[in-house]
Amino acid sequence: MLLDAQTLSRLTGVKVRARAVVEGVLSGLHKSPHQGQSVEFAEHKEYAPGDELKHLDWKAYGKFDRYYIKRYEHETNLRALMVVDASGSMAYGTAGLSKLDVAKVLAATLSHLLLRQQDGAGVALIAGGQFHEIPPRASATHLQVLLDTLDAAAPLGTTDLATAADTLAEKLPRRSLVCIFSDFFDDRADALKRLLALRARKHDVAVFHLVDKAELEFPFDDPTLFLSMEDERRIEVNPREIKESYLEEFGRFLGEVKDACTAADCDYERVRTDEPLDQVLLRFLARRGGKL
Amino acid sequence: MTFANPLFLFGTLAALIPLLVHLFDRRRPRPVPFGAISFVLKSQRRTASRLRLKRLLLYLLRTLILLAVPIALARPQFASAQGPVTTRGLAATAVVIDTSLALRWKDGSSLFDAARDEAKSALRDLAPEEPATVVPCTRTPAPVAPLGFERARLFSAIDDVKPGYEVADLNRCLEVAARALDESPLPNRRLVLVSAFTQSSLRLEVSPPVSTGPKGEKLKPEVVLRDVAKGREVLPNRAVIDARAEPAPQLGARAWQFTFTVRNYSPEPQKDVELRLEVNGEVVSKGFVDLSPDGTSQKTLAHRFAQGGTVSVTGALDADSLSEDDTRTLVVTVPKELSVLLVNGAPSPQKYRDEAYFTEAALSAPGSPVRAVTRDADAAWREDFSKYDAVFLLNVEAPTDEVARALAAFVDAGGGLFIGLGDRVDPDAWNARLGAVLPRKLRVLKTAVEPNAPDAASRSARLEQVALTHPVLQPFTGTAREGLLSVRFWRYVLFESEAGGAASDVLGVLDDGAPAFIAQRKGKGRVFVFASSMDRDWCDLPIRTAFLPLVQRVAAWLTGTLDEREMVRARVGDTVTLTPEPTQSPAFARAPSGLEVPLTPTPGVATVSGGPLPEPGRYDVVDAKGQALASLAFAATLDPAASDLSRHGADALAGWFGEDVVKTAGGGGEREKTPVWTWLIAVAVVAFFFEGVLLRR
Repeated sequence: MLLDAQTLSRLTGVKVRARAVVEGVLSGLHKSPHQGQSVEFAEHKEYAPGDELKHLDWKAYGKFDRYYIKRYEHETNLRALMVVDASGSMAYGTAGLSKLDVAKVLAATLSHLLLRQQDGAGVALIAGGQFHEIPPRASATHLQVLLDTLDAAAPLGTTDLATAADTLAEKLPRRSLVCIFSDFFDDRADALKRLLALRARKHDVAVFHLVDKAELEFPFDDPTLFLSMEDERRIEVNPREIKESYLEEFGRFLGEVKDACTAADCDYERVRTDEPLDQVLLRFLARRGGKL
Repeated sequence: MTFANPLFLFGTLAALIPLLVHLFDRRRPRPVPFGAISFVLKSQRRTASRLRLKRLLLYLLRTLILLAVPIALARPQFASAQGPVTTRGLAATAVVIDTSLALRWKDGSSLFDAARDEAKSALRDLAPEEPATVVPCTRTPAPVAPLGFERARLFSAIDDVKPGYEVADLNRCLEVAARALDESPLPNRRLVLVSAFTQSSLRLEVSPPVSTGPKGEKLKPEVVLRDVAKGREVLPNRAVIDARAEPAPQLGARAWQFTFTVRNYSPEPQKDVELRLEVNGEVVSKGFVDLSPDGTSQKTLAHRFAQGGTVSVTGALDADSLSEDDTRTLVVTVPKELSVLLVNGAPSPQKYRDEAYFTEAALSAPGSPVRAVTRDADAAWREDFSKYDAVFLLNVEAPTDEVARALAAFVDAGGGLFIGLGDRVDPDAWNARLGAVLPRKLRVLKTAVEPNAPDAASRSARLEQVALTHPVLQPFTGTAREGLLSVRFWRYVLFESEAGGAASDVLGVLDDGAPAFIAQRKGKGRVFVFASSMDRDWCDLPIRTAFLPLVQRVAAWLTGTLDEREMVRARVGDTVTLTPEPTQSPAFARAPSGLEVPLTPTPGVATVSGGPLPEPGRYDVVDAKGQALASLAFAATLDPAASDLSRHGADALAGWFGEDVVKTAGGGGEREKTPVWTWLIAVAVVAFFFEGVLLRR
């Protein structure tokens, strides 16, 4: 089943939509890579007072008559943060779902998958210059919190990726998976660069670049008054006169974003609002070797 | 500028539509919230200046289309090219068609074809109520047909007009046409002049034509000029305007040289123009001439004829736009070889004392067509005289009766007899035996002075009068005449006064009144008598410069070839006058195209005349029996003025006719071929195309 925007738009709520996508994703994966905790034996160490008794290797005591302690790799779950751009421009969509809707579904689906494999998942919303974060947790009940948060998110204000980047850099002390869902319509030149700088802090950064079909094709003919969705800007133009120039500008912008992500060693996924979202995630997962 | 359909000009208001649309178009653009508005703004900024220019161009192109189309539909015409619009009501009209040689000028089609079209166009432009007539204009215009309304007859009259070879007299034709308009009761008169307006055909120093109105008042007729040369400033032309022929004895017997004058009537120089000499249609010689702008050059070409007779000689240039004047033909009579028997009555082993020595030398001089045979008297009397064209008796004793009769029969049959006297001549015996051939009987020998006398120079007789009108003596004018008058005569024979019978001509009279030269036609032949001797015994004529031409011309006259050398100069359009032999009765002259020009005898004179000659070239004269008279053939040439195609300017014509009455129509140059409205449509189409291109971009 293709979970395209038209189909998902008929489902109400992020929760339902995310579940549908999760099922699509899981049915598309041939083998589940999630086989319990990622705890692996590392070495033996002679017992010393203070060591936890539960790690005593009784088999070794039987053989050698000495106490050895089993040591393991760092035993923690994956922490992932879904950063969703909820600026005004994300409300745009012509295929049934807005870019923000698509971002919510994708974030919810990924969260669902992460919690299902007992990793921690959190959500950060950027809207109107505010940064609202639900920190990552691995508890199964946390999913509902995340879904509610995403469901309540409404488009507001201008895109402010730079502030989000700074905040994230402060609040993410440990290595995390950071999934960014945005259209990147931030006029500040260094906004994307600062966001991608998270990669330099050893975070795993995945960029979901959301674009609408109308933004890609500019299918307007009659004289049109274009209104900004983030501020008071407006302009009356004959779309046929500027179409060629617009497509050139927008194409250059898409290329710049992709090149910047590639240069920063970040995953880049361009997501059209009219394409099946399970296919988007399967493509994303396939590129990452089938696991998050 | 005028418009054929001025109502369409209201359509030009449509040109305001783009402006009004721009000013009052209040359509609300559809508001669309758009996420990527930053890129719209950038694109708009980037293309703003280009779009402004594009919009301006679109506005201009659309306005241009909306202006050009209604103006084109209104059919604009420039004032200078306007047709013969009758501004003063109905007018009686005469269409004068120039038939000058100039109208044979060709540039693809001839100007005369254009003239026919213009004349017909002028008739079509007339209102049905306007009476009209057609005046073909030649050098001597014929009476004009009365005014009429029957257009078919006028069109037929135009078709009948033929181009001529002369300079038409447009001034006279306009006068004739203006008089023809006097018959009309209509208050207005109109002259339509269809012409190339060459300066030779229309003189602007005389008064323009004036017509008379219904009440007898003088009217300046409206004049419509239709220029068949389509406004060309010059009609380049070159022509052979003159040709002369003369014998060239220095080049041998029957050698002639022909001098052609070539004129360049164009402002451009012409180099290495080929001039061909054609004899009876065959090219025998070529030369090249360089022609300066509007300049003249002469070229002489020579040819030696193989035999005598009447030949056509043509100087021909390569044909240009007016080919008719690129050739010029002469008809020349090349003397046949003459056979002359010299009867030497006083032969001598010493040449200068020989009676026939000087005469034989003169007749056999280079270039002379005479083949002289000298015999002493006894041998000569055994000759068959009929084998000779002429017999010269030089100081011979009176022959026997039988020989005398043979000589008389020879003269009567057309032979020429020359009689030179001397001490062997016994007047009584001569009168008795040769009285039948002598123009006058010999009387007595007279000695003016002994040749050896010390005062011989002063007492010798001299010629006092010579008949320079006679063909034999025609060349002896000026200093040549002095050469003849200076001859000294010591002895000569006196003649009896003229009795009855055929009249004789005394061509020279000595200072005592005695005839020196007597000529007479006898039967078909001729006799010429010299009263003195042909050696130096009785006179010093043989050592005078006049001797050689005199003897040669006497021989030519005796054989009848001298008359043939007189070249007839005839001009196209003129009457030709010919002098036939008494035995000839010419009936008509046949032109190169086969046209026949009747020849009628002139009362009281032995000449015939006919004309006007219709075309240039050789004319053969034919008698009533249909036999060609070769000796009377002649050539007609063109008037050099007809080859001069210099044109009057439009301003000069307007000034002469009067700015208030003159109009130009037709032939208005390129505008006539491509009317303004077609250009406007073309502009609209181009503007439409570019508008489409701009909209696509």
